[in-house]
Amino acid sequence: MHNMTFVSQTSPYIRKDTSTKRMMFDVLIALTPVVFFSVYRFGLDAISRILLSVIIFVGVEALYFLSVTRADGYNLKSKIVNKFKKYSINNFSAPAVSAVIYAMLIPDQLHLYVVVMGALFGAGLGKMIFGGLGMNIFNPAALGRVFIALAFTSFFTGSYSFIDAAAGATALSTSFPNVLNSYSLIDLLVGNVPGSMGEINALAILIGLVYLLIRKSADYRPILSGLLIFTVLATIAGFVLYPTLVFEYVIFQLLSGGLLFGLTFMITDPATSPITRPGRWWFGLIIGSLVFFIRIFGNLPEGVAFALLIGNLLVPLLDYPMWSNNLFTKKFYVSYSSVFVLLAVLTFVLLGGYAI
Amino acid sequence: MITKTRNIPDGKDVLKKLPLIHYLEAPYLYYPITNQRCPEGETCVVFGQFVKVGEVIGTRKGAFFEQPIHATVSGEVVGHEMKFDASGKRVNCMIVKNDFKYELHESIQSRTDETIEALTKADYVQIAKDAGLVGLGGSGFPTYIKLNTKNKIDIILANGVECEPKLISDYEVMMDSPEELIQGLIYAMRAVDAPKGIIAVKKKYVEVIERLRFALNAYQAHDIEVVAVGNHYPQGWELEAIEAATGIKVPQFKLPADYGIIPFNVSTLQSLYHAVRFNLPVLERYFVISGDGVVNKSFKARIGTPIQSLIELGGGYVDKSIPKTLIMGGPMMGSNVTNDDIVTTHTATSLIVQNSLMLDDDPCIHCASCVYSCPVDIQPVQIMNAVKANDKDFLKQLSVDKCIECGLCSFVCPSKIHLTDYMREGKRILRG
Repeated sequence: MHNMTFVSQTSPYIRKDTSTKRMMFDVLIALTPVVFFSVYRFGLDAISRILLSVIIFVGVEALYFLSVTRADGYNLKSKIVNKFKKYSINNFSAPAVSAVIYAMLIPDQLHLYVVVMGALFGAGLGKMIFGGLGMNIFNPAALGRVFIALAFTSFFTGSYSFIDAAAGATALSTSFPNVLNSYSLIDLLVGNVPGSMGEINALAILIGLVYLLIRKSADYRPILSGLLIFTVLATIAGFVLYPTLVFEYVIFQLLSGGLLFGLTFMITDPATSPITRPGRWWFGLIIGSLVFFIRIFGNLPEGVAFALLIGNLLVPLLDYPMWSNNLFTKKFYVSYSSVFVLLAVLTFVLLGGYAI
Repeated sequence: MITKTRNIPDGKDVLKKLPLIHYLEAPYLYYPITNQRCPEGETCVVFGQFVKVGEVIGTRKGAFFEQPIHATVSGEVVGHEMKFDASGKRVNCMIVKNDFKYELHESIQSRTDETIEALTKADYVQIAKDAGLVGLGGSGFPTYIKLNTKNKIDIILANGVECEPKLISDYEVMMDSPEELIQGLIYAMRAVDAPKGIIAVKKKYVEVIERLRFALNAYQAHDIEVVAVGNHYPQGWELEAIEAATGIKVPQFKLPADYGIIPFNVSTLQSLYHAVRFNLPVLERYFVISGDGVVNKSFKARIGTPIQSLIELGGGYVDKSIPKTLIMGGPMMGSNVTNDDIVTTHTATSLIVQNSLMLDDDPCIHCASCVYSCPVDIQPVQIMNAVKANDKDFLKQLSVDKCIECGLCSFVCPSKIHLTDYMREGKRILRG
């Protein structure tokens, strides 16, 4: 019994039964209802775009991994073999998640060339250039989506199927009370409207959201915070602009566009979120209000992606050690609620509510 | 899992059911002359001298206190040898050859109720000092210094939470000898003139709570209550136990005595009872061998017993071809020992032999599970980044010195990053 080998380790010596891999696959599972719906709705157009994005995202990640990973070996062949040994499941699942989210953000008729360019930009400049998994400061899917929206604007005209005389690219591009003539609120819920492939079916997104929350693979704080500010602002806008249709207006704003999809799958991406509980409440507040302001004062089908990128941009500020704190202090409650109220008042004033 | 994690599977139920082996057959017993708190020490016996149970055979010297070393068997002093102690350090040990008679030393005299009644604070402090009592929960802090406080003490807290997985010695003390614990608590209350005593126990230990409450019926004259506290980890940490049991919030880096409370481990109070009533030093402790690399056994053994003999008696290692990790203490905060040539000391109550598994860590994905779970509300992931950048200012701002090294950040990390090691590194950088 004295021939035992003893290994030196440091405390703690046990680990929880959880993994990054599990979290990634949870997101993929949560995305399946949305993906199924888009395939059901758009058929081959959806499948080809999803597959193309997955191949590009995973391919770029693999290329990057193989070129920067250092591995020991006595010759080139063994070095490459050792490199492949380090290639883990995370190098597949993480880019696959980004790819599926990216594919869900684009319209179904978008030219494949544009899909490729956006995926390359998102995977390469969005993630790899920062150092891969966990190091990216912007959501790769959102970055890819915004890139093609700005660089290939002309390709988007006519890329959304289902266009009739009344409707524009998405349900949101139609002015409000008229849109209810074209689509009912139920249509918005089940995805019977034009729009990006994954964003239109609110029901499928909500199923994914519930799954993520049950599995605790997503944090509810930014979702709740974003939803809260958005609903409050939308209610104020409803009161000011359409006093007779407040309820319809709020529901319409909540269900249409990329809001739900963004709040479920993009704002919860941990790598681009702040790391404290109050920070995540702020993060949700920033993005929720930005989405609303872009909608009400601008007109961009990819407003959620823009809002998210601006939110990502502010993460280092929220996480700055000088003031970041995981405790809910009095200061946080006061500043959060005063900003909340301020935004509400600002919306009211900007929309001309003072005239009433 | 982006959530606050506080409950860890503790594996205690299986260990509690193990039959207890009272081991008195060790042929040689080893007494470390130094330990972590006392870097120096000297002996006051010569080789060949016959010593008895409870006899002082040397003194350990710390920065501001001294601590007598007692023999726990009777027999002959035969030499000294280097062995590992519970902290994983190699220390010089005196060896006493056991004559299996267990003759008591002349100083071991029982006190009558009247004498105990008449004891003053100074007497209690002297008794605790002479018996070499230390915090048996693991700190090893001298008990007499705690008793010798100048503050006005309102509450004595008996900490029986024992939140670390796989540790059952405090549980066994509370189950087997609740009267001794309660009397020890009463002595501690008398020593510092505290009106109230509280025993903190995990709320899931219904049987312990019942047993203690039943035993307390005989001590109606004293204001002692059993408080059920949370089951989570690290509830047993001094400051968390105090807050849960009394509602008093003691800030970190402050002494609980400044807030009118002194916490003691339940085993320490039991040893105080032995010291006051019989003038005995700590002779025995419960010792449990657990983990997947060894046959699990529960012992009661004399202090100084070599652990190798306990392992052998229990049935030895299993899966001998797999490399093992030896842990003295619990799996969250225990210290690593690289050799099984260990002796039991005051603070050793558990050896865990684990089949080692080395985990590759994945990149951090900022899920913030570590931040959510940290009991002292610091941000392990930020500290890791600051350590990597060797940024002293940020480390100070992030108050890495608050870290109690409970191990939860490493435990919860989905990427299996060893954050606790980064915390230690951060403290080193901060110290300069």
